[in-house]
Amino acid sequence: MARSRAEEEQCETPVTLIDCDVHPYLKHEDELRQYLREPWRSRTIPSRRQIYLPPGDGRRLDAMPEDGRPAGSDPRLVERQVLQGIGADYVILIPSSSISIIPDPVFAAAVARAWNDWQIDTWLGAYNWHGRFKSSIVIAPQNPERSVEEIERLAGHPHLAQVLVGSSALAAYGKRQYHPIWEAAARHNLPVALHVESPVGPTPPSPLGYPTYFLEFHTLYPTIYMTHLVSLIAEGVFEKFPDFKFVFVEGGSAWLAPIMWRMDKDWRGARAEVPWLKRRPSDYLRDHIRFSTQPVEEPDNPRHLLHIFEMMDAEHILMFASDYPHWDFDDPKRAFPRLTDQLKRRIFCENARELYHLPATRPFDSLDSTQSMAEAQDVGATR
Amino acid sequence: MARYVVGPASELPPSSRRIVRVNGREIGVFNVRGAYYALRNLCPHQSAPLCLGEVTGLAVSDEPGEIEWTREGEILRCPWHGWEFDLLTGCTVFKSQACVKTYDVRVEQATLARDSEGVETYPVRVENELVILEY
Repeated sequence: MARSRAEEEQCETPVTLIDCDVHPYLKHEDELRQYLREPWRSRTIPSRRQIYLPPGDGRRLDAMPEDGRPAGSDPRLVERQVLQGIGADYVILIPSSSISIIPDPVFAAAVARAWNDWQIDTWLGAYNWHGRFKSSIVIAPQNPERSVEEIERLAGHPHLAQVLVGSSALAAYGKRQYHPIWEAAARHNLPVALHVESPVGPTPPSPLGYPTYFLEFHTLYPTIYMTHLVSLIAEGVFEKFPDFKFVFVEGGSAWLAPIMWRMDKDWRGARAEVPWLKRRPSDYLRDHIRFSTQPVEEPDNPRHLLHIFEMMDAEHILMFASDYPHWDFDDPKRAFPRLTDQLKRRIFCENARELYHLPATRPFDSLDSTQSMAEAQDVGATR
Repeated sequence: MARYVVGPASELPPSSRRIVRVNGREIGVFNVRGAYYALRNLCPHQSAPLCLGEVTGLAVSDEPGEIEWTREGEILRCPWHGWEFDLLTGCTVFKSQACVKTYDVRVEQATLARDSEGVETYPVRVENELVILEY
């Protein structure tokens, strides 16, 4: 039954699905330029370099807006395909900024700031009438001082839910040069998310340099993620900043339990080297580290994935992500084996809701009413 | 409780150890600054000869990057995988279920009185104390 506008305004709907990785794109490269001051404004902004060739040129072909702009640049299409399409109550936006590829740390910080001002005006401003878009503070970790300033400038914005860094970095993220950034993020209760970036960056995309094929590049994301993960734990970042939270996005998760078993075993013998670790390395996961699901691993026997989820304590550390509008998008209804209700609740909603301090219910909006109508029409058409 | 004479205390000075075989079991007896501790020579992890390991101290830290060296001579490190055991308790210095079996050790004045009962006796001068293992 149709609701009146007054009813809609008062009505709340439960939050059941949070998508932790959706990419908002610029409509065109020059959109960023207006947020840069000279001398940067007139410069060519280094952008994401595709040296490997992903399927579909990296995006879902049905996510291309009709206006011919890049996939992920039209908020109405994102509303239709993500908020309505998969029923996400909230999405966490991750701008594909590729800041890490800019060698000049001052320029990199200026570009990071421009990305933030752009998203505050657009995806978190003009496009965010429903308040269901949350996003990430873009920083240039190669410039720790400016990164701290940027966090200080933007912490407290109601729709900026975390800080974003790239997987390609000058050094593993546990190293001390990054600690001021983590301190600032922790002080403002902002998790830091790591997302894969362009294969061209300060370090090659695999420990053995540049692989030959996209298949290898994409399969090997976890090698870099493991390096950051092990570094963050070994260097005692979570002992130093007890409120610090870190999120690994788009590296999958099935590799996690074995690397933690390995680290725990090595730690029993090598503990004296890192005596600031008061617990087993893997004990830091539940309190401090989260993983997004996508691209979720798909073993022949789906039960094997459930075993792996159990081994890694997925119930407490895994959060759903679709990676819309990219080619390897995961549909929450289709990508997973059958999960228990409890696991489903934790992975699709509760873990992210707790991490990002999102409410248990949100206001019903017109996307919900048109969604119901669209679903009703679909049912009618198939009868 | 059975009693095994490890040897004269003078042969087991501070910072030394002796591994003895008692009832088919190897037991390491350690002198830690004048106090004796005994542990089974069998690491609970993978059965390495634990008591052959390095006797060392304990690194502790209140802040990443800062290390303080404590308890010198009280930690036994397994010769295989480097696990650290507290010589005083037999337990790993990190939280685990793995404790090595420990034994009581005491020091007795050496005496020949009991052995010489009922026969002709001679004056004996006690030059040593004996380290006694109870098992």
